[in-house]
Amino acid sequence: MSYSGCFHCNEVIPKGSEFSMLIEQQQRQFCCPGCLAVAETIIGQGLGDYYKFRTAPASKAQLVPDQLQLVSYDSAEVLADLTQSKENQTQIELSINGISCAACAWLIEKQLVKNPAIKTVSVNSSTARCLVSWDAQQLKLSDILASISQLGYQASPFMADQEEAFQQDELRRFLKRLAVSGIMSMQVMMLAVGLYFGEYTGIDAEFEGYLRWISLLLSTPVVFYSAKPFTLSAWRAIKGRELNMDVPVTLAVFYTFLASAYATLFGIGEVYFESVCMFVFLLQLGKFFEFRARAQARAATGNLLKIMPVSARLVQGDELIPTSARRLEAGQVILVQAGETIAADGIVLSGESSVDESMLTGEYKAVSKAAGDVVMAGSINHDGVLKVTVNQALASSRLGQIINLQQQTLNQKPQIVEKTTQLARFFIQRLLIIALGTFLVWYFWLDQERAFWVTLSVLVATCPCALTLATPTAITCALARLNRKGILIKNQQVLEILPQLTSVFLDKTGSLTQGRFSILRTKLHHQSYNEATLLALIARIETYSEHPIARAFSSYLNSEIKVDQVQVHVGSGLSALWIQDDGSSVEVKVGSAAFCAIQNQAAAAVCCTINNHLVLSVELSDALRPEVPALISALKQRGLTLSMLTGDSSAQVEEVQHQLQFDQVFKGCSPEQKVEHIQQAVSQGDKVLMLGDGINDSPCFHAAHVSVALDSGTDLSKNQADVVLLHNDLHLVQQLIEGAVLAQRIVKQNLWWAVGYNLVIIPLAVAGFVSPYIAVIGMSFSSILVVSNSLRLLKP
Amino acid sequence: MSIIYVLIPIAILFVCLGLGIFFWAVRSRQFDDLNKEGMSILFEEQKKSPSDADKDKQPPQ
Repeated sequence: MSYSGCFHCNEVIPKGSEFSMLIEQQQRQFCCPGCLAVAETIIGQGLGDYYKFRTAPASKAQLVPDQLQLVSYDSAEVLADLTQSKENQTQIELSINGISCAACAWLIEKQLVKNPAIKTVSVNSSTARCLVSWDAQQLKLSDILASISQLGYQASPFMADQEEAFQQDELRRFLKRLAVSGIMSMQVMMLAVGLYFGEYTGIDAEFEGYLRWISLLLSTPVVFYSAKPFTLSAWRAIKGRELNMDVPVTLAVFYTFLASAYATLFGIGEVYFESVCMFVFLLQLGKFFEFRARAQARAATGNLLKIMPVSARLVQGDELIPTSARRLEAGQVILVQAGETIAADGIVLSGESSVDESMLTGEYKAVSKAAGDVVMAGSINHDGVLKVTVNQALASSRLGQIINLQQQTLNQKPQIVEKTTQLARFFIQRLLIIALGTFLVWYFWLDQERAFWVTLSVLVATCPCALTLATPTAITCALARLNRKGILIKNQQVLEILPQLTSVFLDKTGSLTQGRFSILRTKLHHQSYNEATLLALIARIETYSEHPIARAFSSYLNSEIKVDQVQVHVGSGLSALWIQDDGSSVEVKVGSAAFCAIQNQAAAAVCCTINNHLVLSVELSDALRPEVPALISALKQRGLTLSMLTGDSSAQVEEVQHQLQFDQVFKGCSPEQKVEHIQQAVSQGDKVLMLGDGINDSPCFHAAHVSVALDSGTDLSKNQADVVLLHNDLHLVQQLIEGAVLAQRIVKQNLWWAVGYNLVIIPLAVAGFVSPYIAVIGMSFSSILVVSNSLRLLKP
Repeated sequence: MSIIYVLIPIAILFVCLGLGIFFWAVRSRQFDDLNKEGMSILFEEQKKSPSDADKDKQPPQ
């Protein structure tokens, strides 16, 4: 692959950057020291094949995390919480950020397996998980994490939730059943060819019987093992006095199988073992693809543990003791360093810093905290060091409450009776009555001998094959189509509800907006300087800051500008010496108006002074995503009611409303209020879609009919949403709705065909004109038609 | 034709063997990540010395 940007991550290389390295006789350029360091490690370890075979660029390398932060994972308590030990081997599952293709998995495996203390490593590239077992006596967990981060990936301990573990098992069971029904179908089909030929050319009764007996033997595992999920589901439905699609499937499978077995036993009539096997195999195949698509979507986003803080540093006297965050108790004091997640709700004891609470509250500006202020678990400490007195355990923290709230709403998901289920119920009832009627009429009035076989042909001809395949095949193809566009769907009901959508709720911070600062306006106050140079200067100085404001300037970075003696003043700004081309230097301050000792610049977030004279003021805002206005007008054209739902209560809400003109605006909402607003809309009969990204949005996700999370959102929101957009492009919302409408159209066509065919064939079969062979051909033909119609969805 | 009384049971035996191997492969997680296994053939299993590795590299494009 050839890349125009950084050799490692393909991002734009800032002007004047001097990071390059000789790889295979070619000088390669890098965007930052992080990427260069990672590439040096990869080449140095002889893993350069990675660059040859990867199919997607790597993600930009973060600077290697603070060793101290990783060391906190080594505490015995944390290890006990996260790992399973067997004899002298410890096993842990890690979730790895930044895996973009299969080559990444290879890279990580090769790197880890070099260490003799590590016994086995298995990286799953589609779920971005890594299973490591190692000898904890010889090697620390932090060393494993550090060696993964040297390759430019961030690894963190992970615990799968029960649902996911169950799905993994289920997926393996699916594969086994599929193999049994597929392989047995081939065998039985082969024998059936012999029987077909025998029908025309004549076959000894002895051999015919033998082939039938073998077919019976081979299809038995298909009926009793592979078809088990259908049988169980049908049984549950009948016990609950309901009818679902699995009832006629089971009925057809068992009736055909038992009739054929009866024919084999007594050497009369016809056998249909191959139809039974093929039917089970095809149905299973469709279900398997559908299940796998959803299971992968779930696994790729099911990462709950990462937002729950894992470890904390406990202050005891002068000592710092790493401990498990879950074991913190009220009254203990913890130390939180810059860039760390705060591990518990509490009150700041000493220190000052700005803290990012946006994921919990929707407020996009960092909040400054000093002694006596309340901090919340799960928020991120930006620039200072805080000592915090814990006032409640993690489970009862605000974060814990939000997660609980979302567990409660889980069961309140509005249900929609699937249309196909309704149709099936209607159709099956009539079918059963017709079959029973046919049998009775033939048995008592027409021809006692033929009654059984006519009834069989009624069941086989009308066999709900086409009807049962109509929806799943269309949905599987629609899922694959949307998946290719970067839309992951975890709940297939979504496709059925979307065409009926009436109302859309959108979160503001991070969903409509980019969730980070960008430059709104600049004002030059001193004509002897050039604005571009000044912005580059600010960008250069801001590289020393961890504060989110610093990132707003990163696109202006130019390494030709030289600065010296950069000092970070926590919570206010930075100061530095700017070394100019002639070697002289001037004093530069970048920061808040108060820090720069300037007045009357209230609107400006960042001021820049040179030798204490104001030269540039910059206004920052959380800008809208560029595609939002187009999306909003497209949604309005569909006649949807649009509402903005945000935890933010600042003036920015009005600004966005002025720009986009929503039908309703709810601002300053707590997660509970957001849920209420949506539940109110649902109770008024609206079909509601919710788009959000934060932890505070996730409880709403269960209240709405369809929930959509962005890839840039928190792991919790991605875990809980029905749909995850893999690219941070809101156009995908529109494509999602269009895809669902298209899928519904195909489902309708399929159902019309299946029902129409059945209406024609039933009278003929009841009258006894359809011999069972014709019935099989008719059934296969209509199934093929339905499947190929669904496959049209795969065309781009 | 009576040979089929022997051949078909032998065929069934092979089918069962094949299924057994497949079940084992599923249980040992070989089907969990199909992307990676497809790629693994591209990578050299053993590290060659740099001079060897250079010889069979393609010329730079």
